[in-house]
Amino acid sequence: MASTRVNHRVGRILAMAGKEVLHIRRDIRTLYLALAMPVVMLVLFGFGISFDVDHLELAVVDQDRTDLSRELVRQVTASQEFVVVQDGTSPDEAVGALRKGTAMSVLLIKKGFAEDVKRGGAQVQLLVDGADGNSATQALAKAQALVEMAGRKLGGPVRVAAPPLEARVRTLFNPDARSAMFLVPGLAAYLLAIVAVLITALTVAREWERGSMEQLFATPVGRLEIVVGKLLPYLGIGLLQVLLVLTVGAWVFDVPVRGSLVALSLGSVLFLVGMLGQGLLISVVTRNQVVATQVATMTSVLPSMLLSGFIFPIENLPTPLKLISTLIPARYYVATLRGVLLRGNGLDVLWPQLVALALFAALMLVVATRRFQRRLD
Amino acid sequence: MTPAIEVQHLTRRFGSFTAVDDVSFEVGTGEIFGYLGANGAGKSTTIRMLCGLLKPTGGGARVAGFDVDKEPERVKAGIGYMSQKFSLYLDLSVRANLEFFASAYGAYGRELETRIGEMVERMQLGAVQDEVTGALPGGLQQRVALASAVLHRPRIVFLDEPTAGVDPIQRRSFWELIRYLASRGTTVFVTTHYMDEAENCARIGIMVDGKLVALDTPAGLKRTHAPGRVLEVRGPRLAPALDSLRGMAGVLDVSRFGSGATVRVDPERLPAEALADWLRARGVDPLELEDSAPTLDDVFLALTARAQRGDD
Ligand SMILES: Nc1ncnc2c1ncn2[C@@H]1O[C@H](COP(=O)(O)OP(=O)(O)OP(=O)(O)O)[C@@H](O)[C@H]1O
Ligand SMILES: [Mg+2]
Repeated sequence: MASTRVNHRVGRILAMAGKEVLHIRRDIRTLYLALAMPVVMLVLFGFGISFDVDHLELAVVDQDRTDLSRELVRQVTASQEFVVVQDGTSPDEAVGALRKGTAMSVLLIKKGFAEDVKRGGAQVQLLVDGADGNSATQALAKAQALVEMAGRKLGGPVRVAAPPLEARVRTLFNPDARSAMFLVPGLAAYLLAIVAVLITALTVAREWERGSMEQLFATPVGRLEIVVGKLLPYLGIGLLQVLLVLTVGAWVFDVPVRGSLVALSLGSVLFLVGMLGQGLLISVVTRNQVVATQVATMTSVLPSMLLSGFIFPIENLPTPLKLISTLIPARYYVATLRGVLLRGNGLDVLWPQLVALALFAALMLVVATRRFQRRLD
Repeated sequence: MTPAIEVQHLTRRFGSFTAVDDVSFEVGTGEIFGYLGANGAGKSTTIRMLCGLLKPTGGGARVAGFDVDKEPERVKAGIGYMSQKFSLYLDLSVRANLEFFASAYGAYGRELETRIGEMVERMQLGAVQDEVTGALPGGLQQRVALASAVLHRPRIVFLDEPTAGVDPIQRRSFWELIRYLASRGTTVFVTTHYMDEAENCARIGIMVDGKLVALDTPAGLKRTHAPGRVLEVRGPRLAPALDSLRGMAGVLDVSRFGSGATVRVDPERLPAEALADWLRARGVDPLELEDSAPTLDDVFLALTARAQRGDD
């Protein structure tokens, strides 16, 4: 008895999913686009633009040579955002390294630094390769933050002198694919956000608009069955996209998958469910394709690009945006992917991100199914 | 035997506007029940409440033995519904639509195949089953929609303007299908704007501004609401004559059509010959005067006119 009820439930979900697959097949170009877009974007972004502000090669010119100055260098490089490629060089050598491209930035600590710190006001100088304006400003902001933080730990404020940006010509070709490393996680989150939220919002809103939702509500198909059946094919497409991005990342840009596959899959599914839930909520509230598209773009696609750490590092965001970013699930997904792909992390490290994703998914599903009554009023 | 549909004081408000106002009626099993009314009279709103899609704000209804407010899911399992706006996925084939709706109601495997096979034959859809639904003419689409609404053999089927925009020949064959369903014991609740179609119904309810103002068999409605004799008149200079005819003693109703008009009279007070003389005297000469039977149009006009007078 109970099992036939489950059978009926599964049967209705499959009926919904099958119908959705037919809709997708009738509009096959959208599917091709959904699958080609990640590859094209990854290749374009990966070869074209450098967003990298991590692992910046730093040449250190330490003329002070005290415990304090060495501690400053240690603090600045502790987070791996800057790595020391040259140490103990002269200022001329350091600038030479900058010109040759072996270093991306130079940290100059003048003699008397330690005493200045104790007196309560020290200054260091930073030279940054300005060939890539975006990276340069980000590196600068990051170095400033790091130096100031280090200064507080050392016991006196340390300022970064307004650094003259050293410009030099460099091709934008990115031979060692450093960007792709950071691009793959961000891009994956961004693409999933588009597919999940936008397409869900659109296809569900379309059923409202055409009146087919009314017809569906008159059948015994439950609202959870409508939701699950309708979203299953898009969950499949979303996961396929993740795989594509990871594969292209690995083949073309040598982006490794070092960490836990469990964390990776769990994170992807949780993130997708949250995004699908958000898309559903949008369509339930708007019941209109045009409005749904706008709302989805504003609340999900744009934030997933701008506030997730994909394009702008979260640390560099102004405080209000930083606060808003804590509400953006893409932020936690990007962090999960970066942890798994680049740092080799597992569940032990990434669980807070996964919990955040799970909370968001649960919230969206609860609110959406509450709002999604099988009634017209 | 309990009626298939029992409606008691059913009311639905949208804000301060009352779309369905204290409506009560019953529909017997196997009956074809027609629901007539002008645009915005509250027909679709009534149907939506009876299908468990819209919550009544007052009163209640039982459909197939279940309370539409408290047990909407059980109601849904026992009925078929063809909505006014949408009935089919136009980008899918006829067959895909039928398969989807059959499985949405829980049919699968061989059961699904036989039901669809039967329905395709019954509705004569064999030749078009692989066509994209949106490419079919309106009449055929409506037939596919009816097929999808009754595939699961519901005991009651609600059809909301199923023949809107369909040509007369297709409409006639559509009504043959409706009669066939009723002959097998299915209760049919149907709304329409076409009065000629309504003659096919066993009983008719007429809605005006949310209120059920009349409910009877077609013949009964004509007797009560369009009594007297209906005369069709044609001739020159008819329009000014008709204007002064309205309000004359013994004239119950005047309505124009094309080049002529129908005049409903109380034969006791105004015999046909007297009317003819009166019209000729106003210059309607040569006059053609023909006896005709009252139609549901006359009923409908009389009822809506009465409601309007009541409003004034
Ligand atoms: N969801 C709603 N919100 C507000 N008003 C509504 C809603 N649904 C219907 N109405 C109003 O209720 C009235 C009755 O509408 P309904 O659709 O029942 O009429 P109808 O008799 O089916 O008309 P038609 O012949 O045009 O289909 C209309 O004035 C309509 O504007
Ligand atoms: Mg209607």
